[in-house]
Amino acid sequence: MHPVFLVARRDYLAYVSAWGFWLSLLTAPLLMGAVIFAPLLLSRAEPPRVLAVVGERATDAALVRHAFETSARESAREEIEIYLRAAASGASPAALAAFDAESDLARAISAARDSVRASAPNAAAAFPTPMTRYLIANAPASDIEGVKPYLDGQDLPDGRTLYGALNIRRDAAGAPLIEYWSVNLQHDEPTVIARNALRLEMQREALAAQGLPPNEADKLSDLEPETAQFDPRQATGDTQVTSRQRAPFIASIVLAFVLWAVVFSAANMLLTSVIEEKSNKILDTLLTSVSPLQMLIGKLLGVAALSATLFAFWGALGGLGLSQAAAMMSESRMGDLAAAFLDPQLIAAFAVGFVAGYLMYGAVFLALGSLCESIQETQTLLGPVMFVLMMPMLLLGPAIDNPSAPLIVGASWIPTFTPFLILIRAPAGLSWGEIAGMGAVMGVSIIVILIIAARVFQAGVVNQLSATNLFGRKAKAE
Amino acid sequence: MNLALEAEGLVKRYGARTAVQDISFQVPQGAIYGVLGPNGAGKSSTLRMIVGVLKPSAGRVTLLGGPVTRATLKRVGYLPEERGLYRNMSARSAIAYLARLKGTPANVAFKRADTLLESHGLGSVRTKKIKTLSKGMAQKVQVLGAIAHEPDFIIFDEPFSGLDPVNQRVLEETIRAQAAAGRTILFSTHVMEHAERLCDRIVLIAQGKKAFEGTVPEALALAPSAAVLETEGNFDLAAALAPRGFALTAEGEEHGNRRWRAKLDAEKGSRQLLQACVETGAPLSLFEPARASLHEAFVALVGDKVAVGGGA
Repeated sequence: MHPVFLVARRDYLAYVSAWGFWLSLLTAPLLMGAVIFAPLLLSRAEPPRVLAVVGERATDAALVRHAFETSARESAREEIEIYLRAAASGASPAALAAFDAESDLARAISAARDSVRASAPNAAAAFPTPMTRYLIANAPASDIEGVKPYLDGQDLPDGRTLYGALNIRRDAAGAPLIEYWSVNLQHDEPTVIARNALRLEMQREALAAQGLPPNEADKLSDLEPETAQFDPRQATGDTQVTSRQRAPFIASIVLAFVLWAVVFSAANMLLTSVIEEKSNKILDTLLTSVSPLQMLIGKLLGVAALSATLFAFWGALGGLGLSQAAAMMSESRMGDLAAAFLDPQLIAAFAVGFVAGYLMYGAVFLALGSLCESIQETQTLLGPVMFVLMMPMLLLGPAIDNPSAPLIVGASWIPTFTPFLILIRAPAGLSWGEIAGMGAVMGVSIIVILIIAARVFQAGVVNQLSATNLFGRKAKAE
Repeated sequence: MNLALEAEGLVKRYGARTAVQDISFQVPQGAIYGVLGPNGAGKSSTLRMIVGVLKPSAGRVTLLGGPVTRATLKRVGYLPEERGLYRNMSARSAIAYLARLKGTPANVAFKRADTLLESHGLGSVRTKKIKTLSKGMAQKVQVLGAIAHEPDFIIFDEPFSGLDPVNQRVLEETIRAQAAAGRTILFSTHVMEHAERLCDRIVLIAQGKKAFEGTVPEALALAPSAAVLETEGNFDLAAALAPRGFALTAEGEEHGNRRWRAKLDAEKGSRQLLQACVETGAPLSLFEPARASLHEAFVALVGDKVAVGGGA
């Protein structure tokens, strides 16, 4: 076996045999799953929040209560609809009709489940039980003063804990005033539901005051211009931009962040590896068998193989999850987004970006590592270097806002930024000329960086060049 | 004479400092050759230039009949002064890895690693990780790693440092065995006794310059000769011989006898000293020409201060 591959193989096996590798391999998908599903699971684990509604006018309070019931009903219906679309689309119309036929939410859910059980028994087992986010309790008092003690620790007569209370007052002009009382200061979502309900009531009252039929307000609130967005690059002019067209932009941004994190994790591994070899005084032994350039390439290959192993495992898991999500939620934004991640062109751009970014930054980190004797010494040297390496991240914000901005277009030609910015610019459209040009600049840069890094590495590993003598101190010899 | 190594005018500069100045020597094939000198003399820099780790500032190295190339270095086994192995590798894997880097096939490398470990008393730790071995054991593993690919030329930089006396003896035996197998050995040391016992030829280096090159007897001939004497009772031998031009120094008492050391030279040798003792009626109980050491030869060549690694 060629010494380069022996070096690569040893480095690869050293990483793979470390328990930390397996920990990363297995915990990363779990953490990713937790990030995606934890909010959903937590929201399901939380019991419904109990609210009380009191008002100067009984009609105001009744309106707000009704708005909460309607909101709960709509979200339950949506959850059932999404499930049936993925699990048993044929059973969906009948189940939703059964749902709509029942006025009580619990009975509506049961009716939909019974309908599915009859028409598609296989889909009944996993039929969702939508959770109500808010429950409106009978107010323990007729005014807010009487309710306050229950908001500060005292249980309701039925043993439940009151989460918040809405007090609907009327001001001097007779306009509704919504007061929300709760010890959970950071959360005011109930006011949004109450405000939407009372806005309609205010419109009705305003029409009545003008001598017009109050119910016309319902029609007026439905009046809204339709908006549509079009992409002039589409073949047919009437093809609207939908979430399906927007999904690749979001996917490319997410992948650019992932790429940055992966490239620097891998480069950091190389850095610590070469410092470990220097501090363990292994390099002199190896240098009569492999040249510094061979060692540099071997190390790059070793960690690249390690990254490929991680990508293969995570990619298989992620691909499976995303393809399932794309199939189950094909008509939703989440489904479009999942499908966008599976776009072969985006995956290819990510792979090319990784190879280019990894070679450039990996070689730089290896050269830096060869100049240092310890992690502490490296950290002092890395400060200014990290600033340069953080630059792509600083540009990601403006790139997300406008990937075709002159700053972003110009910066994407700078080789150290290219792997990340090309990913973000790709969905907005890149000409073949640009792709070829940026590829050529990046390719030449990688070669130049590898040559310079190999020279620095060569001088560094034999202690002819170090972080300290770079700054003017005398070199140490035997 | 076939040469395994020819170093010509080697110079190594680190910035303004010159670590190695115009060093030349030749190592015949099959020889055990020592590079001697105090710490900081330039031995390691010289050896690192020979194996291509360092690029000479000037001079030329001819190794195994040609320039220093990857192909040539495959026939060389090198143990550097700064030693280390991958701490998480097993002893046999470490040896096999070093051998494989030199081109030995994997199955042969592992077989040789097992054989070498067994023959050097390390069979029981062959699967143990390097980090669990003692420093001496790890050093032996690295020595074995340097010879596992059965090189034609073995270069050891300070191979005895860090080893206890028993393991130093074991390593001497290893060196002799390798030489007996027809391999050329070049090693550096600052402990002259190892060179005296092992080397056919030596080069003495001080402050980056060559002070001597030749055989061990040739070097010993440069050391001032001396004799050790013992007299019975309180007899003052120094006073008795002083008028005859002999300089003696007292070296204490043993079993009631006084011990003396006399410096000799070409005109006043051991025969003249013995004759003077007889003529003065000295009650001699011991007369022993002292064997010169390489250290004394080195001190004679470069001076006391330089010989211990100090300034000139």
